[in-house]
Amino acid sequence: MSGRLHINVNILNAGVFGGSWRFPATDGLASYTIDHYTSIAKKAEAAKLDAVFLADGPSLDPSITHRTGNNLEPTTVLARVAAQTERIGLIATLSSSYNDPVELARRLGDLDHLSGGRFGWNVVTTAGPIAARNFGRTGEPDHGLRYRRASEFVEQVVAAWAARTEFPSPQGRPVVVQAGGSSDGKQLASRVGEVVFSAEQDIRKAKAFRTELRDGARRFGRNPNEIVILPGLSTVLGSTEAEAIERRELLDDLLPDAYARGRLAGQLGFSLDGLADDEPIPAELLAEPDEAGGSQTFYRVVKDIIDRENPTLRQLLKKLSGGGGHRIVVGTPEQVADDIERWFHYGAADGFNVIPDVLPSGFDDFADHLIPELQRRGLFRTEYDGTTLRDHLGLDVPDLPAGVWDRGPLQAAP
Amino acid sequence: MSTPILIDLAVGDARAGAEPDRFDPVSPAAAVTVTEAAREAGVAALRLLDTAGGRRAIDPSVAGAYLAGRFGDIGYLVEVPTTHNAPYNVARRVLSFDRATAGRVGVVLRPGAGDEVSAATVPDPVAAAPVERWSEYAQILTRLWESFPRDALIGDQERALVVDDALIRAIDHEGRFYRVAGPLDGPSSLQGRPVVVAADLDVLGWAAVARSADAVVVDRGQSAGADLALTAGLEQAGRKREDVALIGRVGVTLSAGASARTLADELAAWIDRDKLDAVELVPTGGVDGVLAAVRTLVPLLSASTGPTLRASLGLRDTVEALS
Repeated sequence: MSGRLHINVNILNAGVFGGSWRFPATDGLASYTIDHYTSIAKKAEAAKLDAVFLADGPSLDPSITHRTGNNLEPTTVLARVAAQTERIGLIATLSSSYNDPVELARRLGDLDHLSGGRFGWNVVTTAGPIAARNFGRTGEPDHGLRYRRASEFVEQVVAAWAARTEFPSPQGRPVVVQAGGSSDGKQLASRVGEVVFSAEQDIRKAKAFRTELRDGARRFGRNPNEIVILPGLSTVLGSTEAEAIERRELLDDLLPDAYARGRLAGQLGFSLDGLADDEPIPAELLAEPDEAGGSQTFYRVVKDIIDRENPTLRQLLKKLSGGGGHRIVVGTPEQVADDIERWFHYGAADGFNVIPDVLPSGFDDFADHLIPELQRRGLFRTEYDGTTLRDHLGLDVPDLPAGVWDRGPLQAAP
Repeated sequence: MSTPILIDLAVGDARAGAEPDRFDPVSPAAAVTVTEAAREAGVAALRLLDTAGGRRAIDPSVAGAYLAGRFGDIGYLVEVPTTHNAPYNVARRVLSFDRATAGRVGVVLRPGAGDEVSAATVPDPVAAAPVERWSEYAQILTRLWESFPRDALIGDQERALVVDDALIRAIDHEGRFYRVAGPLDGPSSLQGRPVVVAADLDVLGWAAVARSADAVVVDRGQSAGADLALTAGLEQAGRKREDVALIGRVGVTLSAGASARTLADELAAWIDRDKLDAVELVPTGGVDGVLAAVRTLVPLLSASTGPTLRASLGLRDTVEALS
């Protein structure tokens, strides 16, 4: 561990908020063009970030009516970014549920080779029946089953990478990234996750999560320093605090109401129709997180906010701003740097997966003003020391995960 | 008369060296040089092979997207087998690549077996009927590629509407080999849809090709009579001859002895005689051989290009699904 922060930028289409695509002086459909991704990646490289990250899923989310969404397959995007950059890491989300492990291992290994050892794979199990129906299923597989498959799938892919003789990885093998906050997800992360994305609103809980994962890694015979934990962080920057607050309020105003309600309903697993805006959501509607379907991580975050703050429905919608539950920090670059420093020194994070409020302008502000502040404080690199993603993250190549997968054919969840 | 020229390229492990009369892979760095030279020479498209000499190349969709990140203004055909590839993933990946190049991409869909994800949900997972599978697969690709029309993406910030919902439609495909609901998550290609190329006539036969391909590759031994067979097949399928490009594929070896001029004349005669719409060159001799072909042979061939891959191949822009 270098005593320095690790920072990715999540190029999440138009930005983290439901209203981001409508922000003034923003091309609302920029995220439907390839140049959006390549230009932000170049900016991120100039700012010496560890990596760019692409969230993704193999389906069209119905919320597209009111909000932009994923629309370009990540390996083709990152292959292009690889051709136009030299050092910055390239992390893509690809599903363990809906890919063939042989094909995926080959394609990702090839991308890693071609990029000079800069690739990381964010393993997700892909929630929801919509994606399931693109692959012949009528509904999504059970949560536990998705994760059992994911565990075997990852071990099979990593073993294939380790066995490559043609097109070897300049970084040993690609980095494994994982982002589930459910019990199953934490188990998987402890076992094989080298970078773990998390969604934490509270500094103490974040530290507890980090401790839990490091302990879990130790139990699986891994060095706990070989997990880098990066909570999501959305920044709303202004040259004064008042300006930043105004920016946040404008983003709230721009949030399409229908989108926000649809998204929250999706995360909670029930419709909001008929619920009063000026009252809290009735407690009896809220299941325990481990029993929730869909994405337990985001359900958990929302439920924590509800338990902690007892907001009215309207207040809850505003707090989330359609942003899915990542922490939102509003202020000047100095104020946000203070917050980042506090979390880092408290042991709540090894760095952050930054999701800018608006893309590209919010990331421009981040790169132009916040990164230099972090560099000034000695918290962030001023130059790349190495050339691979492992170099940037300070990670050695871990032992191969124990062979669960060779017990039998991979279980393709029906 | 001008003819679109395609060049085969396998981006791979070139450490074993090249033989002058064998098609060999070129290294990634060499592939960059080749692509730049090909673009300058007016090559219409590179066909990126999945294997060369029995050994795997770099995944063609990755290699293609990488090369296109350096060089636009040239087409890319990527080989993709049905084996190990669920059709929704391929439709998405190929269209994404195509959108990044403003409509210069096609897929050489190779017949084969199924994939682990799809096999879990169909009634007959071990059915070995590669022609039928290939036809169903091509149909799914083209239907997905029209499921989210370009004009559905409206981006009306005032009214908070990203899309016109009514124009985006699921495909709800339920076939023998695959079940795919769709739609895709991004809009259709600038060229209507990516080009579907059939390169395995021996396996597929004219009926399947005529139903489902935008272009068909025939080698020197198959090309006589191909135009007639293709025309007959298309008539059966209710399609027009001008909607499919007949591509003649041939190995070329440019060495000290073989004059580029002689080769060029032979190729021109072949194109004429067998009514080929395009020529695909398979240059032997590794990077030196392919560069020689690009720099000395192609300029003698009246090579033609266009603003999209379809236009380059003389095909009209169309989005309508096949079969």
